[in-house]
Amino acid sequence: MGDTLVSSVIGPSGPEHRRLANKVMEEALASASIVFDDLAYVVATGYGRINVPFADKQVTEITCHAKGLYSLLPTAKTIVDIGGQDSKGIKLNEGKVSSFVMNDKCAAGTGRFLEVIADALGVPLEKLGDISIKAEKAAIISNTCTVFAEQEVTSQLANGESVANLIAGIHEAIAVRIYSLISKLKISPDVAITGGGAKNIGLIRALEIKFGFPVLVPPEPLLTGAIGAAIVGKEICERAAGSGEILKRSAQGLQEATFFS
Amino acid sequence: MAYVLGIDIGSGFSKAVICEDKTILSHAIMPSGGNFKETAGKVTEIVLEKAGLSPGDISYATATGYGAAVVDFADRSITDISCHAAGVCHMFPSVRTLIDIGAQFSKAIRLNDKGKVANFILNEKCAGGSGKFIQVIARILHMKIEDIGKFSIQSDNPVEFTTGCAVFAESEAVSRIAEGALPGDILAGVHKAMASKIVNLVVRLGLTGDCAITGGGAKDHGLVRAIKTELNTDVLVPEEPRITAAFGAALSAAENIYQ
Repeated sequence: MGDTLVSSVIGPSGPEHRRLANKVMEEALASASIVFDDLAYVVATGYGRINVPFADKQVTEITCHAKGLYSLLPTAKTIVDIGGQDSKGIKLNEGKVSSFVMNDKCAAGTGRFLEVIADALGVPLEKLGDISIKAEKAAIISNTCTVFAEQEVTSQLANGESVANLIAGIHEAIAVRIYSLISKLKISPDVAITGGGAKNIGLIRALEIKFGFPVLVPPEPLLTGAIGAAIVGKEICERAAGSGEILKRSAQGLQEATFFS
Repeated sequence: MAYVLGIDIGSGFSKAVICEDKTILSHAIMPSGGNFKETAGKVTEIVLEKAGLSPGDISYATATGYGAAVVDFADRSITDISCHAAGVCHMFPSVRTLIDIGAQFSKAIRLNDKGKVANFILNEKCAGGSGKFIQVIARILHMKIEDIGKFSIQSDNPVEFTTGCAVFAESEAVSRIAEGALPGDILAGVHKAMASKIVNLVVRLGLTGDCAITGGGAKDHGLVRAIKTELNTDVLVPEEPRITAAFGAALSAAENIYQ
C-alpha cells in the first residue's frame, strides 16, 4: 500500500449529503479505474461524515485535517481551517492534535461571511481573491456581524466605494476575526491554511499581515481532510496487517442512496 | 398652549409625534429609506398635516434616533435612550426595566425611581437579537413582517435552533422547511432564539420593577410572548410602541419651553 494520491473529486455537499457521498465516491473510483470492492478500507470525515453509509469508519475532521496537513506540509505547527460553516485553529505536536479552537457560533470569520458578501456584490466567490489584490486601499468595514456588514458593504458601494476596496476590507475584517480565534492557541510557525478559504489569495494575504509572517497553503486545500481520512484508513489497514486482525467493514457497501434513508 | 414636535429617525423607520403640552395630537411613521434628511422632512409634513398645523405653529422640535443629526430643523437632539425612558415613564410610571427592539439594535434600559436612565446595555454587534433577524426569516418564508406575530403565536411547538446567528439560522430554517416544518413553528423558534439573546441583556442589567417593551419588535406578539416566557414575568407594551422615543422627544421639547 503506497502513499500516493490516485484520484480525487470535489463536489458541493448540498442538502442531500448521502446522495453526494455516493456520487463523489463513484467518480473517484472511475477516475482511479477501480471498483468499490478494490478498496481495502473507507474512512469518512467532515460535518456530514455520518451520512456516508458505505464508510467503514467515521473520524472527526480535526484529526483528519491534522493528518492530511502533516503529510503535505510536515513543518506546519498551527493549522487554520476556514470552512463554509465554521473556522478552526488546530495546534500540532509532531503531527498529533495537541489543542484546537473553533468558531461555529457566528458566521463572521467563516467562509459563510465571504459567500454572503460575494453575493451582495454580485461577484463569484472564486474571484474575490484576484479582485481584492488589485485594491488601492482596503475599505474599513466597521460591523462584525455578517448581516450588518452586508448592509454596510451595499451602502458603501452606493456611496461610490470600489468593489476591489470593499472586498479587500472584507478580507481584512474576516482575517481579524480568524486571527483573534487562533490567538487563543499559542501560535507557532509554520502556520498552514486549509479549507475553502485557503483558495482565496486576498484572504491569505490579509492573514499573513495579521500573523506577521508568510503562511503555507497545500496544493488543493479543499482536499486536506479527505487526504487525512485516507491516511487514517491506511494506518488502520497497516495495524490490522501487523497484528493479523481481520478488519470489520461496513455491511452497507456502495448502493443507491435514497432521500433521508 | 404650545405645540411641540418629537422626531425619531431610526435605522428602519422614522417616527414623528406632535404634542400639545404633554398630550399626543398626532403621530406619523414611515420607512427611513436611504435618504434620512428627505424622510425627516416628509414625516414632519405628514404629522403636521394630521394635526392640522403648519411648521410655524411648532414652538420647539427635538430630534432623536440613529439619524438625529440630519434633522437640521430641530432645536435640539438627544439620545434615543433617554427619549425611550421619558416616553415609557410618562405612559407607565411603574416601569424600571425597558426593552427596546429596533430594526438594527436591541437595548435594555434600567430606569431609576425618578424615571431617568440609570444604566443600559446595547446589542449592536450581532443581528441575532435584533429586528433584522425576523426580516431575514420573513424573507425566506415569503411572509410580510406584520403577519409574523400571528403565525408565531399559534405555535405550541417551536423549532429548536442550534444557533443564535441570523445567518446560520437562515440555513437551518431552510432545512427545516424542506423537512416540512410549519412556518408558525419556525417563527416561534426564531422568536425563542431572539428572546434568549434579548433577555440575556436584561439579565446582565438585572431585572427590577415592571418591564415594558418598545420599538417595532413590540408589535410582534410572537416575540413579546417569547420574551415573557423567557423572563418569566408579564410585560407592558404601549398602544403604539414604535413612537415611544418620538413621544419622549416631544415630552422633552415641552419641558424645554417651560424652562
